[in-house]
Amino acid sequence: MPFIEFKDVERKYMLGENAFYALKDVNLEIYEGEMVVILGPSGAGKSTLLNLLGGMDSPTGGEILFNGHDIAGFKDDELTTYRAWNVGVVFQFYNLIPTLTAYENVALMRDVRNNVKKGSIWEQESGGAEVLDPAQMLASVGLSEHMHQFPSQMSGGEQQRTSIARALAKNPRLLLCDEPTGALDTGTGKEVLKLLQKESREEGHTVVMVTHNSFFADIADRVIRVKNGTVQSVETNGTPKDAEEVNW
Amino acid sequence: MLIRKMWRDLLKSKVQFLSIFLMSLLGMYVFVGLDSEANGMRVYEESYYEQNGLADIWVQGKAFTDDDLRKIQGISGVIKAEKRLNIDGKALMPGDRELNMQMNFIDASEISRMLIVDGEPYTPGESGVWLDFIFCREQKLGIGDSIKLKADGKEFDEIIKGTFYHPEYVYFLPDAAAVMPAYGEYGACFIDSSEYPVRDELYYNLITADLEGVDNTGGLSDEEKGICQKAGEMISDVLNSEEIVTTNKNENLSYQTFHAEIEQHASMTYLFPIVFLLIAILGIITTMTRMTSRQRVQIGTLKALGLSKRTITIHYASYSFFLSLMGSIVGALLGYCTIAELIIGMEADAYLVPDMSKAFSVRAFGGIAVSVAVSTLVSFMSCRKQLAPAPAETLRPASPKNLKHSAIEKSRLWLKLDFATQWNIRDIMRNKVRSAMGVVGVLGCSMLLFGAFACLDTMNFITSWMYGELNTSRYQIIMKQGTPYTVTEEYAKKYSGQMIENAGVEFEVNGVKKSGTLTVYDVGNYLHFEDKNLKEMSMDGKGIAMTYKMSRTLGLAQGDMFRWHMVGDDKWHVNRISAIYRHPTSQGIAMSRDMFEGLEFTFIPDTVYTNKDARTDLDGDDNIIGVQNKDEMMDAFDSMKEMMYTMVYILVMAAVVLGIVVLYNLGVLSLVEKNREMATLKVLGFTTRKIRGILQMQNIWLTALGILLGIPAGMGLVSALFASMPESMDYIATYSVPSVMYTVAGTFTLSIAVNRLLSGKVKTVDMVDALKGQE
Ligand SMILES: Nc1ncnc2c1ncn2[C@@H]1O[C@H](COP(=O)(O)OP(=O)(O)OP(=O)(O)O)[C@@H](O)[C@H]1O
Ligand SMILES: [Mg+2]
Repeated sequence: MPFIEFKDVERKYMLGENAFYALKDVNLEIYEGEMVVILGPSGAGKSTLLNLLGGMDSPTGGEILFNGHDIAGFKDDELTTYRAWNVGVVFQFYNLIPTLTAYENVALMRDVRNNVKKGSIWEQESGGAEVLDPAQMLASVGLSEHMHQFPSQMSGGEQQRTSIARALAKNPRLLLCDEPTGALDTGTGKEVLKLLQKESREEGHTVVMVTHNSFFADIADRVIRVKNGTVQSVETNGTPKDAEEVNW
Repeated sequence: MLIRKMWRDLLKSKVQFLSIFLMSLLGMYVFVGLDSEANGMRVYEESYYEQNGLADIWVQGKAFTDDDLRKIQGISGVIKAEKRLNIDGKALMPGDRELNMQMNFIDASEISRMLIVDGEPYTPGESGVWLDFIFCREQKLGIGDSIKLKADGKEFDEIIKGTFYHPEYVYFLPDAAAVMPAYGEYGACFIDSSEYPVRDELYYNLITADLEGVDNTGGLSDEEKGICQKAGEMISDVLNSEEIVTTNKNENLSYQTFHAEIEQHASMTYLFPIVFLLIAILGIITTMTRMTSRQRVQIGTLKALGLSKRTITIHYASYSFFLSLMGSIVGALLGYCTIAELIIGMEADAYLVPDMSKAFSVRAFGGIAVSVAVSTLVSFMSCRKQLAPAPAETLRPASPKNLKHSAIEKSRLWLKLDFATQWNIRDIMRNKVRSAMGVVGVLGCSMLLFGAFACLDTMNFITSWMYGELNTSRYQIIMKQGTPYTVTEEYAKKYSGQMIENAGVEFEVNGVKKSGTLTVYDVGNYLHFEDKNLKEMSMDGKGIAMTYKMSRTLGLAQGDMFRWHMVGDDKWHVNRISAIYRHPTSQGIAMSRDMFEGLEFTFIPDTVYTNKDARTDLDGDDNIIGVQNKDEMMDAFDSMKEMMYTMVYILVMAAVVLGIVVLYNLGVLSLVEKNREMATLKVLGFTTRKIRGILQMQNIWLTALGILLGIPAGMGLVSALFASMPESMDYIATYSVPSVMYTVAGTFTLSIAVNRLLSGKVKTVDMVDALKGQE
């Protein structure tokens, strides 16, 4: 059984009288532990797709199955519980809370687990996974020395790594990254990619990364190409490269 | 972690959050301050009369016998009745000083009871005198001292047995001519009737009674009024006398003055502080709405990370919860300790009661609860608003609203406007809420300022109306009670004065009785009358004129008939209201001497109005109580205004602070939002001065609009305030041109100063910083 399955998913926006389809007739499958790259030009609908995956948005049609459960019709509260247990997000612009230090931004994930509804199916499925130690998470992204700095006191790369540490602290089954290297130089970008690949290979977590950079296709187990709101192709990559080897 | 975020957010936007704190504080400061004071007096009044009792009716009009008393005691519904002799006497002090002394020769003291301060309680049959506490204190008299008294022309000595406060002497004046109390310079005393100097000549002129169904707490309900009136009728019946006049506590000077003061304070407590609270709450609403909309992306992130709606809402609601809670509590305590303390202290000097103190009321807690609840609710709702869409939506920057061009932008005129004007018009149109809030802030500030000034205007107007227009005499010779007409006439001739008789009357309309005043004037031109619109009117001397307020109270109009009789005279008359006139402090009827004598009354004037200085001439004259000059009377009236002044100062100061807080806060908000725009203008080459000019221009527009609305609102506030005053007062809300000017100048100065202070920050706008960030 696929870990995630999209069936005839559509996301339309009403712009006055006219309907605009940001996504239409999307069908795809993603398996557990895979590293997936979503490729496509600007405005293709990549972020929209990612938002649907992460339960940050709901489709206007179709089904989205996560481990067999249809989350498409979830209400707001149900989506929150879904996100709290399953999804880690790395945003393009980091979205750290500016008034919290790196450590505190990561530690915030404890609040997430503490405040979420108890006894959900997700809690049972994930075996009630613990939130990981913030200091260790930051150490694993190489930020031990910058732990107590505020976002405004860190470089873009450091902020992005904090953001990854924050996403991983939840120990999520699904890690979503929207242009995680968009604002970074090649070297720093490579570090970030290595972290993501490690997550998929060593932890067995599913990682979905959105990018418009086709070089990244090489490191993925599966590449989904999106254009004008539709899926153009889904390719499986038998021999994904190490992040170290990618150049752009 | 969210708690840390809260504290850091609070620190980061100090100004805005401080303003929420300050606005809650100010709102509660004024509200609780005035409320605890008014409530303190109210609570005190209740417990004081409850503890010491107060007669329900006072029966006067004849010499009462033991038999009369027994008959009254026998009436069903009368719980207790006592008779006494109540007269104006003298205390003869060392150094030939004669001080006025209200004397009561009593048989019992169980209805209106003495609250003994020093000495022993009164027991019937015991010799000695009980004196009011303040009199003893000021005259340095102690228990066991001897004092020489004079009653009905007879001198006698008594030993002081005790000092007291008394429910019938909470407020009293030395004589009919006095307008302000000066306790200690005159006094009240109780003496057993067996001590009356000439035993055989003892008589009783007053019966007090306690009635079933009339309690001592609160004012008189309509039902209680009915019971009192019914008792009065039954007393007239059993004594078979039509001369009897029964009055209730509403007609008792001591009770009525004290009670009216409390009522007046209560209405003050409501109007002003509620305005305050509203402005504060509006300020909180704007601040919180802005703050959540600025944290929009953060709210989206928190939600995307999986924090529940509840957690996020609680987080944001707790900002204003804590701030407004702290602000409200600090404000309430400060108000309680300063405003309430100050005013209650002044009140304690004006009334003869022991330890009157302020008291928190349920309303104070209610006020705190409302202010905290409203500000929490506001942030709750504005946070909900950001939480409603899916996080995917909230994570992207808000779409710029209102991109349509407004009508004015499309008109031909638009192109003719200079850039600054265009920019400001756009800015106002696109930030309607913030602009409206700025206008409301200025409106509130100027309304309170104008209201305060108008209070002073009104008080000044009342003084000049009373002593400049209605009574133009420079001196008033006050005759002793019972001075025969021929004697008074000699004074009038000698000083070319106008003779006036003042008396009490009772009206009856549709079965409801009301007491009022009667003014009878002889020929002369010192006493004037003004009609409803304050135009001087000439009285033809043929009819009976009624004051405007009394006619309103009785529901009568010019030409209507009414029934009345003089206090102490049982004959009822029915007359037509020939004219309506206005008087600020006494409500009733007025007629000429001819008219009065035509009704077969005898004219016994008690006052002579004159312009000749009779003071040195008549010093120590046996027929008169004294000569008052106009300046003294105006001064006395002014000192009554002292309390009003204090309140006005407090209000003005609070209005100014509130104005500053609201304006500064909005200014900071708008600066933060305009940061990028201003940086762009700077990059384009605009000088700091020019940009500041643009900002100041918008500020001036909004301020002008706020003032334009604030002044009429202030007028409304003041007329509502004076309309809520007691029945005996007819204060006409007055507004002077200088007040308008002070308000306009004051508000503009305030607003421009705050804006200058703020626009100083334009200099520090960092072009690089402001332009690089996303958002
Ligand atoms: N709230 C919205 N209302 C209307 N249209 C929207 C909305 N959100 C997205 N769209 C449209 O949907 C389309 C897909 O947007 P999406 O953000 O998914 O693009 P993207 O592939 O992530 O592009 P980029 O690489 O530039 O981030 C775009 O054309 C966008 O204009
Ligand atoms: Mg995108």
